[in-house]
Amino acid sequence: MEQSTPYLGFIPLLPLAGALVLGLMHIATCQGKRIPDKLYGILGCIGPFIALILAVKVFFELKALDEGKRVLLQRVYNWIEVGDLKISMGFLADPLSSLMLLFVTFVGFLIHLYSIGYMAGDKNFGKFFAYLNLFLASMLLLVLGDGPVVMFVGWEGVGLCSYLLISFYSEDPANVVAGNKAFIVNRIGDLGFVLGISFLFWGIGADGFDYISLEASATNLNPTLGLTVCLLLFVGATGKSAQIPLYVWLPDAMAGPTPVSALIHAATMVTAGVYMIARFSFLYVQVPLAGEIIAWVGILTALLAAIFGMYQRDIKKILAYSTVSQLGYMFAAVGLTAYSAGIFHVFTHAFFKALLFLGAGSVIHALHHEQDIWKMGGLKKKLPVTYWTMLFGALALAGCPLFSGFFSKDEILYSALAHGHGAIWFIGLIVAGITAYYTFRMFFVVFHGKPADQSLYDKAHESPPVMTVPLVILAVGAVFAGFLNLPHLFGGHLMVSHWLSPSLVEHHPDPTLALELLAVGGSIVAFVIGVSIAYRKFGTKAQEPVYRGFHKFAENKFMVDELFGALIVTPYRYLSQGISRIIEPWVTDGPLKSMALLYRLSGLAFKVFQVGLVRVYAIYMVLGLSIMSFLLIKTLNL
Amino acid sequence: MFDNLLTVMIFGPLVTGLVLLLLPLSSAIARFAGAFVSIICALLGVKLFADFSPATSVAFHQSYPVIPSLGINYSIGVDGISILVLLVAVILIPMVFLLFKEKQKGYYANLMVAQGAMVGAIAARDVIMFYMFWEIMLLPIFFMIGLYGGERRVAATIKITVYTIAGSLLMFASIVYLAIMYQSQTGVWSFAMDSLTSLQLTGTGATLAFIGFMVAFAIKIPLFPFHTWLPDAYTEAPTGTTFVLSAIMAKIGVYAVIRFVVPVFEESFVRFALILAFSGVIGMMYCGIAALVQKDFKRMLAFSSASHMGIIALGIFCMNLQALTGTLFQIVAHATSTGVLFLLLGIIEERMETRNIDDLGGVAYRAPLFAACFAVAMLASVGLPGTSGFIGEFLIILGAIKFNILIGVLAGTTLIIGVCYMLWLFQRVFFEKQNKRTEQFRDLSLLETITIVPVILLIIFMGLYPQPFIERIKPAAEQYTLILTDRAEIADHTISETIAK
Repeated sequence: MEQSTPYLGFIPLLPLAGALVLGLMHIATCQGKRIPDKLYGILGCIGPFIALILAVKVFFELKALDEGKRVLLQRVYNWIEVGDLKISMGFLADPLSSLMLLFVTFVGFLIHLYSIGYMAGDKNFGKFFAYLNLFLASMLLLVLGDGPVVMFVGWEGVGLCSYLLISFYSEDPANVVAGNKAFIVNRIGDLGFVLGISFLFWGIGADGFDYISLEASATNLNPTLGLTVCLLLFVGATGKSAQIPLYVWLPDAMAGPTPVSALIHAATMVTAGVYMIARFSFLYVQVPLAGEIIAWVGILTALLAAIFGMYQRDIKKILAYSTVSQLGYMFAAVGLTAYSAGIFHVFTHAFFKALLFLGAGSVIHALHHEQDIWKMGGLKKKLPVTYWTMLFGALALAGCPLFSGFFSKDEILYSALAHGHGAIWFIGLIVAGITAYYTFRMFFVVFHGKPADQSLYDKAHESPPVMTVPLVILAVGAVFAGFLNLPHLFGGHLMVSHWLSPSLVEHHPDPTLALELLAVGGSIVAFVIGVSIAYRKFGTKAQEPVYRGFHKFAENKFMVDELFGALIVTPYRYLSQGISRIIEPWVTDGPLKSMALLYRLSGLAFKVFQVGLVRVYAIYMVLGLSIMSFLLIKTLNL
Repeated sequence: MFDNLLTVMIFGPLVTGLVLLLLPLSSAIARFAGAFVSIICALLGVKLFADFSPATSVAFHQSYPVIPSLGINYSIGVDGISILVLLVAVILIPMVFLLFKEKQKGYYANLMVAQGAMVGAIAARDVIMFYMFWEIMLLPIFFMIGLYGGERRVAATIKITVYTIAGSLLMFASIVYLAIMYQSQTGVWSFAMDSLTSLQLTGTGATLAFIGFMVAFAIKIPLFPFHTWLPDAYTEAPTGTTFVLSAIMAKIGVYAVIRFVVPVFEESFVRFALILAFSGVIGMMYCGIAALVQKDFKRMLAFSSASHMGIIALGIFCMNLQALTGTLFQIVAHATSTGVLFLLLGIIEERMETRNIDDLGGVAYRAPLFAACFAVAMLASVGLPGTSGFIGEFLIILGAIKFNILIGVLAGTTLIIGVCYMLWLFQRVFFEKQNKRTEQFRDLSLLETITIVPVILLIIFMGLYPQPFIERIKPAAEQYTLILTDRAEIADHTISETIAK
């Protein structure tokens, strides 16, 4: 059944090599003569491009195999082997990872291409591409790893690159703080991940700690341990995929360059948590309680982030909250054991959200780094390609029928109904309406109406082809990706779900026409209501609203950041100060200090007798001698 | 020719050090001689590591009687427990000679003496010999801090000396106790490690002797709450000395626990393991949290180092194979990462004459190679996968979970605590805006590059391919774990029997 596929390892290795070469080139030359940007750009794109070709090859090789045997493996060497713990540096391509592989390399390559235009002229151009390559390598390792520990290498690797790229414009402390926040919050999640895999190992890891062996022995896991493992792993997912309560880093992460936001903080890295849970579907199906918790956390995150998204003024933050919200949908899906629906939404979301971010980047590029939507307006004429491509992206995100986002979101909402979770479906429906509203609020304010800032408007120009071509390609994906998984209702065959089924352990409830119609009908209504409210308010004459009361509270994101600051960050700092200023010198060092003091005091006491006069010492001598003689006489009984 | 490898590695530096002290040489010659001898030792160490076969119980073994009537021998050798510590002790020292231009000759001489004594302590198979080298190790540290240290060097010197000597006295009393016990049980005198392990020790005397050894080593590691000498000593010592203290001597403390305490005092060790484990994990959290607000770069690294030593020590007390292997592996991982951090800090201090974090900023723009090296070492220190730091920490946490869930979870928080202070440090030193001082900063010179980059590569190599290291320690680690698990089972058995009664 297992086939060794010698080229799997090259998929992450190529971008890694690219990162090394680019990084060394940058270090060697950044002080002196610059290497032309074009060379960096070409070198930076080679790795992702070959990885893309290999990903396609993997896909077709898998497709040629029988459905039940679609597994390609490569164990390169024994990585860690201590007692029962046996971990190899191994790669696994199966339907699930190959699908991830395809879109990660595809979107990754396009964003590399786009960055050549977006980052043109930046003094750290080479460094940017080195980091981007390193990110892609880590992401591919995460996807291709054949077990949880190899996945964790990629998992932390993408976190590192995320940190490096968020703080890319590092002269401004605010950007670095955003990077630190991302890293630290992710690390909180990673603690869950590490503890989760540790428990998993002591539970069922002795017979091999890779997915295939784990799946084989999954039924031996005792239920309490199973629940613990599932929840701890989910803690890891909430960190990486920005779910309640660890979502707070993602909006701040927008401090990084826009292609980074598109690639890392929308299309790929943040979906790693969903992928991980789908990867461990063999564990999660055994623990329905964990799934239920995940689904609720997911849908509530979706709602919360959608509410925040309605009030943002920074174009990237709107998209960031929208990402958090869409990730919430995905978790709702995988929580309800509708893994293929969740992964399908990951897939379509990668296209339309990357497209929206790159489109936003094109707008920001045109306006010389202005990100406030209330300073934009009327850009339709100036940026036609951006306008039309972003329109497709917005329609997909808002869930316009026949666009990709519609099908994938509908699949999730339908699953909620089919699994008997009416409440989750209903909240999901509200979120869908809000999503349509804030998406088109942004769209209308940016592209329609009159320019808010004439001087900015006059200087605006359409981006170069190296940026617009990726936009067009992604737009095609955003429109048509949905047809890959067309449900039976629309005459399709759920191709993606079918493709994924060998990798996932899931139960499809029998489709009933009534429920399907209800789900589809609800989604369409939500879309129409959302867009029409947005059009009424912002369609023709956009004016910056003044928020009061609840709206103001929502604009301030319910003060969650401030709350975390007051409850965690400040006390931690005080604790640190308390330890180093009070406890360390006076408590832990106390015994030593008091010993020193005792010595000094006894020294003082004895000093009294040391007066330095011969006659006093003579008295001491006489005294001593008499005492000695007395004792001598006593003991000898004289 | 290579039979005497270890003896050469011990007495080569020792004799060189003494000669340098006595002869009126210039400091440049002393530095050159030190670099030469230490590089030779490093090459010999690498050869020893490569030739070492895990199958043999004690490799490169040599033994000559010194005082036959008391059974004291000159006995040295290497096994799976000591091989990595030895490697660390010899391959890192040359960096100090190559990187820093101290003014005095005595500094280099003392470094040489320290190196010889450290290798001696690691290789010793006889308790008296170990004790001797252990004491000699302290002398050069005493002189280096006291003579060449910072402003408050005298106080720091007194503190470290009082602490260490107190520990040493307790250890000496315990050694005497061991010898007497051995004599009374077998009728002959012996101080050889291999014979002392066969002792049957019970009762109050054994517990006291155990505590004597443990306190001495806990001070050296240092284990919470015996760490209070560390921030002062690390901060006031010249950077080369701090490097030796943190990268090597602290590890000898950990090594000594595994070497002497575990096999001799199995019973007491099992009994006190939980308390000791808590001490390790609390020390990790305590020092890691304290590191956050330090204003002095070096003091922050000192607390960071102490924090990591807590985790490393924890690995011994968990008494399972994964944790013990993790500790032995982490000895190298931590030595390389923390060592490089201290050395790079030393370069900053030498060039910019400040250690105040707030005076720095934007170093990465002027010195990208320097920043990259620092970043790799920092990431290894916070345990990022792909670096050596991950392998060790992961194994220790994994083992700790098996030992005790609460301790395992607390140990896991090192993932978070570490990044909090490290990233904030990195931000203020390497990112943000440059100032007048940091604009002048030069990147690594050629000599500095060829000194530091190999260690950086080692950090990454050990993260990606740790197996050559793990394989060499595996049989010994298995054997030591077996001693303890057997003992723990006996203890469990007795407890359940008592309950049954």
